Amino acid sequence: MSVERADVERIAELARLRLGDAELDRFTVQLNGILAHMDQLAELDAEAAEAESQAAPEAGAPLRADTVGPDALRRPPSEIATDWKHGFFVVPRLAAQDRLAEGGDASGLEGADDDA
Amino acid sequence: MTPDVFKRSLDEIAQSVAAGETTASALLDVVEREQARWEGGEIPLHAFLSFGGDNARAAAQTVDASTPTPKARGPKPLLGVPVAIKDNLCTLDYPTTCGSRILEGYVSPYSATAVERLEAAGAVLVGHTNMDEFGMGSSCEASAYGPTRNPWDLARVPGGSSGGSAAAVAARLVPLALGSDTGGSVRQPAALCGVAGLKPTYGRVSRYGLVAFASSLDQIGPLAGSVGDVALALEIIAGQDPLDATSSAVPSGDYAASARQGGGLDGVRAGVPRQLAVDRLEPDVRGDWERSLARLEELGVRLVEVDVPALEAATAVYYVLANSEASANLARFDGVRYGRRSRDASTLTELYHRSRSEGFGAEVKRRILLGTFALSSGYHEAYYDRAAAVARALGRELAAALEGTDVLLSPASPSAAFRLGERSDPLTMYLSDVYTVPANLAGLPAVAVPSGVSAEGLPLSLQLVGRAFDEARLLRVAAAFEAAADFRRPMLPVAPTQAPPEAPV
Repeated sequence: MSVERADVERIAELARLRLGDAELDRFTVQLNGILAHMDQLAELDAEAAEAESQAAPEAGAPLRADTVGPDALRRPPSEIATDWKHGFFVVPRLAAQDRLAEGGDASGLEGADDDA
Repeated sequence: MTPDVFKRSLDEIAQSVAAGETTASALLDVVEREQARWEGGEIPLHAFLSFGGDNARAAAQTVDASTPTPKARGPKPLLGVPVAIKDNLCTLDYPTTCGSRILEGYVSPYSATAVERLEAAGAVLVGHTNMDEFGMGSSCEASAYGPTRNPWDLARVPGGSSGGSAAAVAARLVPLALGSDTGGSVRQPAALCGVAGLKPTYGRVSRYGLVAFASSLDQIGPLAGSVGDVALALEIIAGQDPLDATSSAVPSGDYAASARQGGGLDGVRAGVPRQLAVDRLEPDVRGDWERSLARLEELGVRLVEVDVPALEAATAVYYVLANSEASANLARFDGVRYGRRSRDASTLTELYHRSRSEGFGAEVKRRILLGTFALSSGYHEAYYDRAAAVARALGRELAAALEGTDVLLSPASPSAAFRLGERSDPLTMYLSDVYTVPANLAGLPAVAVPSGVSAEGLPLSLQLVGRAFDEARLLRVAAAFEAAADFRRPMLPVAPTQAPPEAPV
């Protein structure tokens, strides 16, 4: 299995990474070297593919009560948040919101499918 | 007080605090002096990312404020003992960066269970140690904050990803450190630094507060100067935790007593997998491996050849599974709730892209790409699903091998500590983990024990792998081997004479 530069670009988009040209070239070469090593998995006995849980099931891993309680943080989220207002983490607007504000159509725009 | 104090066992150090012979504050003074010495040399050791300060001093004073009596020792087996914590273990009010720029400035709002258990045992946290970013590396060169050096030779790596923890113990900055092990990240740096390091059975130690790399493989493990000290640390941090649903209800044991048991190993059967490919080892490593086997036989151990065919694919399996899980676990670092947020983003999508691209280093990006690819539509059957199936097969084969034996053996690392910058090809670096990843894939406990030195004077280690939740037997055998190996860890020099090497890019 080998990947092309365009594949790496697609994978980077899935992973929400923005790679420069030099990075794309470098990662394409490196990923192909690593995938060549991983391709030995394809040559292994199909018997290995039977479904079975990996770890022996634990006897007595107890379930906890289904109750809602305060989180275990000792400092409030506001102290670690980059931007916090009225109990919310504040983030930049969706691009779609800007376009709507200008009277345009939100569909197909960058960020239009993002959840806020 | 000299750093000789850290040649003593954890138990002896705690007893001396309880008996009033020393104080936690005096021990912290030693740590601070030694840290200044190692950082003040021509080539800084750089074991720590955050060190000392008000938190450590306050913790030491709290220990000293309680009247030290032998009775105070009882419930606090680490009374006053300075310990170091790997930087991926959340510690209340400590910077916790995982060696990454994406968590630069993040101060943890809570402590990991393992950290809290050490503190409850009386330990004094002195700082967070350097690591390969998010646990992804075998040399500590992938830290965003610069590499840690190996105290035995500052031109060489300490191993990784728990390189800072291993170096801190090896340099006698602290007698105990915690690391994390996903594919060997406690055992391999322990081996390269000549200290003992344990990866417990999966589920033996709570992962609550350990920043996740690969959730089905990660375990927190101790590094210390002896198997006995590793055993004591395990006893303190092990046990079920309601905050970690993967932590086991299997009762933990009196591991320190097991390690102290001593005596011969008559009747113990040790499996040697046929697939170890020892003929490919460096000559020094192979020689030390063969001497280790001979020592075990002298102790009464019966060596048994075992067949573990899936071992040959273990690194490929590991790098598919670990990177797949990592690509999911690291999706949370998006600049929204904590950590680094790109200043240049005007939209939410751009925020994700820029924050992650600016915050993650090359190795992390590479592994996220691999993992995302292995999980992507059209490829996950061939990669992730197949790797998972082979991992299950490996687990079955190792379990079968351990039915007829008590422990399995291998070298801990295929090489001694290598030079900084020597392994620039990622695949070559990944193959450093060839002997350690199987225990993670199968969830088995494994320990690295120093066994000798190479012709260049670098430490070499044996790895012992045990049955699930059978750390007591594993540590007993390991401690007996350790006594027979008689590995001497010297007090290391302050001002090494090696010329500064080229720093890796």
